[in-house]
Amino acid sequence: MHDNSNSVRVEVTISNRQGLHARPVMRFVDIAMKYECEIRVHKNDLTVDGKSPMEMMLLEAVQGTVLALEAIGDGGAEALNELAELIDGKFGED
Amino acid sequence: MPLRRGIGVSSGVVIGDALVLETEESRVPRRIVPRDQIDHEVSLADRAFESARKEVADEREQFAARAGNELADIFGFHERWLGDVKPRKEIASLIRSKHYSSAYAISVFMRKYRRRFQEMGSPFLQERAKDIQDIERRLLHHVGGETRMELASLREPVIIVAHDLTPSELVALEKTKRLLGFATDAGGTTSHTAIIAAGLGIPAVVGLENITSHVSSGDTLVIDGLHGVVVVNPDESQRSTYAAEAKHLEEVRDTLAELTELAAETRDGVRINLLGNIEFPLEIDDCINRGAEGIGLFRTEFLFLEADPLPGEEDQYRAYCDAVTAVGDRPLVIRTMDLGGDKCHRGGGWEVEKNPFLGLRSIRYSLQNLSMFRSQLRAILRASVNGDVRVMFPLISRIMELRQAKFVLSLVMEELEEEGFEFKSDIPVGVMVETPAAAICARELARETDFMSIGTNDLIQYTLAVDRTNERVAQLYSPADPSILRLIRRVVKDADRSTTSISLCGEMAGDPLFAILLVGMGLRTLSMAAGNIPRTKKIIRSISLADAIRVRKRVMSFETEREVLNYLRDETRKVWDEI
Amino acid sequence: MKLADFVVPGAILPNITSTDRNGVIRDLVTALADAGELATEDVEVIAKAAIQRENQGSTGFGKGVAVPHVKHAKIPRIMAAIGRSAAGVDFAALDRSPVYTVVMLLSPPDQPEAHLQAMERIFSHLQRDQFRRFLRQAETVEAVLDLIREADEAPAG
Repeated sequence: MHDNSNSVRVEVTISNRQGLHARPVMRFVDIAMKYECEIRVHKNDLTVDGKSPMEMMLLEAVQGTVLALEAIGDGGAEALNELAELIDGKFGED
Repeated sequence: MPLRRGIGVSSGVVIGDALVLETEESRVPRRIVPRDQIDHEVSLADRAFESARKEVADEREQFAARAGNELADIFGFHERWLGDVKPRKEIASLIRSKHYSSAYAISVFMRKYRRRFQEMGSPFLQERAKDIQDIERRLLHHVGGETRMELASLREPVIIVAHDLTPSELVALEKTKRLLGFATDAGGTTSHTAIIAAGLGIPAVVGLENITSHVSSGDTLVIDGLHGVVVVNPDESQRSTYAAEAKHLEEVRDTLAELTELAAETRDGVRINLLGNIEFPLEIDDCINRGAEGIGLFRTEFLFLEADPLPGEEDQYRAYCDAVTAVGDRPLVIRTMDLGGDKCHRGGGWEVEKNPFLGLRSIRYSLQNLSMFRSQLRAILRASVNGDVRVMFPLISRIMELRQAKFVLSLVMEELEEEGFEFKSDIPVGVMVETPAAAICARELARETDFMSIGTNDLIQYTLAVDRTNERVAQLYSPADPSILRLIRRVVKDADRSTTSISLCGEMAGDPLFAILLVGMGLRTLSMAAGNIPRTKKIIRSISLADAIRVRKRVMSFETEREVLNYLRDETRKVWDEI
Repeated sequence: MKLADFVVPGAILPNITSTDRNGVIRDLVTALADAGELATEDVEVIAKAAIQRENQGSTGFGKGVAVPHVKHAKIPRIMAAIGRSAAGVDFAALDRSPVYTVVMLLSPPDQPEAHLQAMERIFSHLQRDQFRRFLRQAETVEAVLDLIREADEAPAG
């Protein structure tokens, strides 16, 4: 669905008990902002900007939700690595 | 033409053009700006984001030190949200494409955003609604008091139509001198906005349920506050009928105005003290102008309700000094904050209670929030040197509470003395008698107070077990119920047997229907909204004490509220046919 | 704020023998010093300040109870001592009856709010007939401490 060859994609599952509430969103955005690349987060048909806390809040991501993270541009793979690690590590919660 | 019925809260008739305020809770009026102001509005919105973000950052730092990481995290999130470019872009595009004012664009965007959460329905996301509300409140606050400015910058005389009005919005509108009247979806006779409207004599109909969806700005409206009727776009005959009515009421008002200089004295020379009830010091002049001989009830909680941050000792001290200055050498009864119930300040810390009117409110709240209570008592005591200040504790339900409150007062006096402040060490201390418990134990309370004041609004709701703000049972709420009348009579008798003085405040004091009865019951001090003083005086000057006692004896023999009301209506009509 | 936050267990005197007000006040301040809460050389000046405060207006608010209190720079933290006199002491109380239970609060001058909160706690507990009666009957330090624990656990009021 995207022909940008610069794009990388990874699937993650939200595993912390409270899901993507304010603090996890904050951690996520803080990491995303460090990178030059664009970060998109997909959940079903909904796509939001991973650097926008406003949009990230709209992801109804409770425990068990599968999200696709997509990075477009420089440092994309590295960014996704770090983000996936954050999510797999339950945002340091639980 | 359509006629809408609600609850009339202030007896006047007015005809004028409607101005409909937005019905969302933010109450930001829809405002379209001229093309050349668009850049300015965009930058206003940007600045609001920036200053709101800075404010949150400051608070986060404070909280991190005080309350640990969890709260700091929430603020951290708000900070990032406010730093996000996305909402700013969307708001800017609303301003550019629709020419909305910055405040309105923010409120439209936030409303849409909130709605998306509501649609999700997942309970864990509902939590977010609070965050979003908080962010919105901050933004609107920082968009430069503009919401209030808009209210304050009315150019033409208008009738305001809104879902609801807050007391401070009403006062801001009144100050423009362009408020003819108002009509709201929400509210009842004892809502605080209604009480203030009555006090200021602004014709108003509340509790109309859906008036906002039936009126557009620019419609012509008739507000008949006496009958609780609103007419939308009246036809010629309606218009002339109401115009005549308005003129007549004006004449009555003029006649009553002639009484201002005269004493409130029965024909056989019994003096009745008529005092004013106020929420803000700025209402005092109005009371005095209408013949009040002092202030019998200063509801100080209004200083707290919409204040953000809460007023500290110095802010309160200034407010009380303003009040003392305005009232001169007349008495000023300052009631300590009656918070809780339906009056929660924005300082937070309020827990959701199942039954707030039976919960932590009023004096109970004060005794559990000693630091607020302390600063209020300090401010009252410091202001007391300048005039005839008296302090009154609300919602006393047991003698213990009175003793505790008096003990705290004595400790605060000790403190002020140590610090070298002047204050009136023999400041009169009184209580509100507004719970059935206090009414029944009035004799004991009388022994430990200098004065007591019967607060009928709460006394009625607690005695009759009717929530005065619940529109479905509000009709059961009546001062004329025999149980209420007997309680009042009992309290007056108990007070008369002691050295404590007794007065009555609350809506009942200013209702012309009860004036004769209350005098007959032995009350000599009545405290009421300024607007009710002239007609009460008119009635008192038309009767004799013997008349009043005869009326009281008859009334006390009735078994139903209906009989009481019919009889009082007849008796009152004999002396004043404007009822 | 709980009573246990400021009542010093080592300064509970269930059998005070002084028979006059000033003596009782001195005993209680001394007990706080003995418990290590005050410097011994400050006992006299603090006791004097408390007596002076008491002379300005009795803290014996009736029903056999008195709550002398004082703020003083030599007092390092908010602390209270409790004394019980079986014979009763004249505190010039408001109801003129002798005082059997004395709860004395000492505060540093820079904590007026906490002082007020502590006083209010003491006062509201002492207003309860049962607490007052049991305190008057408590013959040992343990009995007094038990009462304080119970009072702290009971709902406010």
